[in-house]
Amino acid sequence: MKKRNIPDPVPFVFNGKLKKSLAIAAAIGLIALLWGVFISQAPASRIWANLWINAHMFLFLGLGALFFWTVNVLGESTWQINIQRILESMSLTIPFAIILFVIAFPGMKDLFEWTHTDNLDRILQEKTGYLNIPFWMARFAFYFILWSFFAYYLRRISIRNDYHPNEKYLGKIRSTSGWFMVFFAISSSMAAWDWLMSIDAHWFSTLYGWYIFSSMFVASLAVIILITLAFKHFNILPNVNTEHLHDLGKYLFGFSIFWTYLWLSQYLLIWYSNIPEETIYYVERVNNFETLFYLNVIINFLFPFIALMTRNSKRQPIVLAIVAIIVLLGHYIDLYLAVIPGAVGHEHAKIGLLEIGLPFFYIALFLAIVFVFFEKAKPVPENHPYFIESSNYENI
Amino acid sequence: MKSIVYGHFTDEIDLLEAVKELQNKGIKIDDVRTPFPIHGLDNVLKLPRSRLPKLAFVAGAIGGAGGLLFQIWVFTKAWPLVIGGKPFLSIPSFIPVTFELTVLFAAFAMVIGFLVSSNLGPGSIPDILDEEVTNDHFQIVLSNINNTMPDTDLANALAATGALGVKNIKTEN
Amino acid sequence: MMHVSTVREPLIKGKKSYNDITEDVMAPVRAKPGKLWYAGITVSSLLMLFGFVMIGYTVWFGIGTWGVNRTIGWGWSITNFVWWVGIGHAGTFISAILLLFRQKWRTSINRAAEAMTIIAVMCAGIFPLIHMGRLPLAFFIFPYPNSRDLWVNFNSPLLWDVFAITTYLLVSVLFWYMGLIPDLGTIRDRMKSLWKKKVYNFLSFGWKGSARHWQRHESMSLILAGLAAPLVLSVHTIVSFDFATSVIPGWHTTIFPPYFVSGAVFSGFAMVLTLMIITRKALNLEEYITVGHVESMNKVIIATGSIVGIAYITELFIAWYSAVEYERYAFVNRALGPYAWAYWIMMTCNVISPQLLWIKKLRRNLAFTFVLSIFINIGMWFERFVIVITSLHRDYLPSSWSMYSPTWIEVAIYLGTFGLFFTLFFLFIRVFPVIAIAEVKSVARSSALKFIGKPVKKNSPEKLTP
Repeated sequence: MKKRNIPDPVPFVFNGKLKKSLAIAAAIGLIALLWGVFISQAPASRIWANLWINAHMFLFLGLGALFFWTVNVLGESTWQINIQRILESMSLTIPFAIILFVIAFPGMKDLFEWTHTDNLDRILQEKTGYLNIPFWMARFAFYFILWSFFAYYLRRISIRNDYHPNEKYLGKIRSTSGWFMVFFAISSSMAAWDWLMSIDAHWFSTLYGWYIFSSMFVASLAVIILITLAFKHFNILPNVNTEHLHDLGKYLFGFSIFWTYLWLSQYLLIWYSNIPEETIYYVERVNNFETLFYLNVIINFLFPFIALMTRNSKRQPIVLAIVAIIVLLGHYIDLYLAVIPGAVGHEHAKIGLLEIGLPFFYIALFLAIVFVFFEKAKPVPENHPYFIESSNYENI
Repeated sequence: MKSIVYGHFTDEIDLLEAVKELQNKGIKIDDVRTPFPIHGLDNVLKLPRSRLPKLAFVAGAIGGAGGLLFQIWVFTKAWPLVIGGKPFLSIPSFIPVTFELTVLFAAFAMVIGFLVSSNLGPGSIPDILDEEVTNDHFQIVLSNINNTMPDTDLANALAATGALGVKNIKTEN
Repeated sequence: MMHVSTVREPLIKGKKSYNDITEDVMAPVRAKPGKLWYAGITVSSLLMLFGFVMIGYTVWFGIGTWGVNRTIGWGWSITNFVWWVGIGHAGTFISAILLLFRQKWRTSINRAAEAMTIIAVMCAGIFPLIHMGRLPLAFFIFPYPNSRDLWVNFNSPLLWDVFAITTYLLVSVLFWYMGLIPDLGTIRDRMKSLWKKKVYNFLSFGWKGSARHWQRHESMSLILAGLAAPLVLSVHTIVSFDFATSVIPGWHTTIFPPYFVSGAVFSGFAMVLTLMIITRKALNLEEYITVGHVESMNKVIIATGSIVGIAYITELFIAWYSAVEYERYAFVNRALGPYAWAYWIMMTCNVISPQLLWIKKLRRNLAFTFVLSIFINIGMWFERFVIVITSLHRDYLPSSWSMYSPTWIEVAIYLGTFGLFFTLFFLFIRVFPVIAIAEVKSVARSSALKFIGKPVKKNSPEKLTP
């Protein structure tokens, strides 16, 4: 094999220039919020709904990264070790999401019908055993405490191996990942039911939890790709090569198709059986949010399917970057459609400066936290037993 | 009259080295035969990338589009039927069959394409020079079709790379 | 160049050279069958013939010879259909999806698993054909131009099934056979008798190992894998649509597609384990199908089994959450009604027992794995039984509630499909190499415990060099 000219890694510094750019983005977000509140005079439900959507997207990026890391550990795969520190840093954003959710709590009365306990119809009455504020809050705390614990604990095991490598490392990280995976499988579905499905509280779908998971995972993959591309470009991770990009591209392609599969499963089955208490969900969206509804499928399925089909496309950074950005936008639209029709309704829903600008604050905050944590550790876990294998393989 | 010079190695690493050596001497290689696909051999031999994936894509597109249009024709033009209150043009219902036909056409086109382009098929008689190629011999085959050097020189060059069992045979075609 | 870490478990045990691999895998094909093989194929053929006679009986006298009635129009036949199709999914998963994920451990089991898939799909296909009653008119299910201008109902999931199962059977055969071609060439070249050489040459399509052919072969295998992966997801999804597109509680639920697919891979891997644990012993292939392979398959089982378990819990919860009394009753009835015994067998076998595989010792224990794999297949049969029968026997209108039990003819036909399955599998191991010889050779150097061949050259990187 010919020797590769791998440049020396450039140590990552979360410097003033980077901080300034993020601060500007955050400012844009805050201005958008203030604009929405004071100048557009948007109804309260629309404001709270936007805060709710963005809090979710923030969480999804980190939670999806934690899932990606642990599932690769359990599958004994090694190529992702080169980007493991990115995955770790993204996972550590999870506890910060708590604050973002909590600031939207005052809007719960607007978001969730079932909180109006003095005025519940028969169906909502039946659900009060599960949909009541104390139990809901307890579950909220439970999910976040455990997710945060796993993110921190796995990170600690990984960092400790940098300084005190020992042969118990693989076993420990695998068993912890196993525990996390079981908890994640159950909690990710339950969280989707609690926070998103109950917005349309009269409706239900057994697939919903897994569907939201797939959206979460693809959005997270898109951000993982973008950060990886950036770090590779600036030689912070010079060992990330075309093969790794190819694999990330395969994941983005494959899981976009998986998301489409779940989207279609839910839609086709509800459409086919035509039971009114189920179809109301889609009737609302197809009739009143038609453009976004179809755009959702076009951006999240057609575009990555066509753009990433060929082998070469998945190996070119510029193609991956464009597809990642557009797919990220697409899954934002997916979340929008999950929240707005039920929480705000079509008379008050709009795409204005608030919707477009507010995400910048959350992206800036997310990246700031990722950069802080990435700077704190070595850029790659060099003492990982599979580290060398991680950079030496070729795709067919 | 075709003249063939061939020899073999007992492992793929020596084979790759030998191929590179021969190419450096300006000798064109007719064929390399191995028991399993060797990583990197395609690049060294500069084999053009297979066009089978493109064939699969085109055939799949034909199958899918054809299937979808056929279903639409059946249910809107040929004999429209109201099934469960669904509209005649019920695209969600048509997706499963469309998908299956896409896969079916793509798979068949590729397999047939592979067999035809490689001249393999039931009844094909291969020109086996060394029966152990399908076991553990890694064979290089040179011929006078694209090499102007005399046979003895080719044989010597091949032997110089460390090939075993170097032979020279002449055939009609 | 590929680097495989030394921490990884070797995929091939013992001291092996390329020639050893050829000889070891070819031995069963070359050897004269032993008493055990003859006994096995005799029993399975008799069972198969018995089943076929019972199918003939059914076609002659009609579906009234079965236990299906109003309102349970689908009984054992469709349960068996879904069960067999589900089992078939493991082969494609191993061949296609594990190829896309670059899992090298698949190379010693994919050939047999793919063969199992094809045979299982054939067994599965028998049931939709015969349960329609008029077997000679079975060709009606295909869209062909006819004098009555009649076309098939493209809106029906049962028709989608026709396309899905047909495509799946054909593409699986293509994938399996294209992979076999190089190995058939190997067998041809090692056979001494002239007529056997001729037969294997015919079967191998004249393979000669040329680099150009290998290049196209690899490209084709990758694309076939890329096609087969969504195909295998789509097949069991469409099978699940047979139920999920209805309106009755317990059948109409959006989680069915991915849940059925996971269940299929779950039961399929269990069947692969059942077969491989016996086969590796009987054909002396323990150094190729190692305990490590069994452990990897067990990991897939625990992953898919857990997904199935979560799906059960999700269905239960959402049935309550929906506040729809019919949904709620459907699940109460499953757990406490007249078929509760089937439900609890299902829960024990599918949810509880595979969780034991979190324990590493058990994952690597062949006896435990063998017993567990049979329990899982029993459990998955009961899952389909519970879904089909309990939702049909008590749906919206209590005055329509009825009971179902199979007649001995239905049981006989089911046993007959086992006969077909094992007969074909016994034939397979005689005629074809059970392990993908060329693929195993391609991983031998990097992943064998002790590879006999030229050692890797000194200047290949063991460390990253800038």
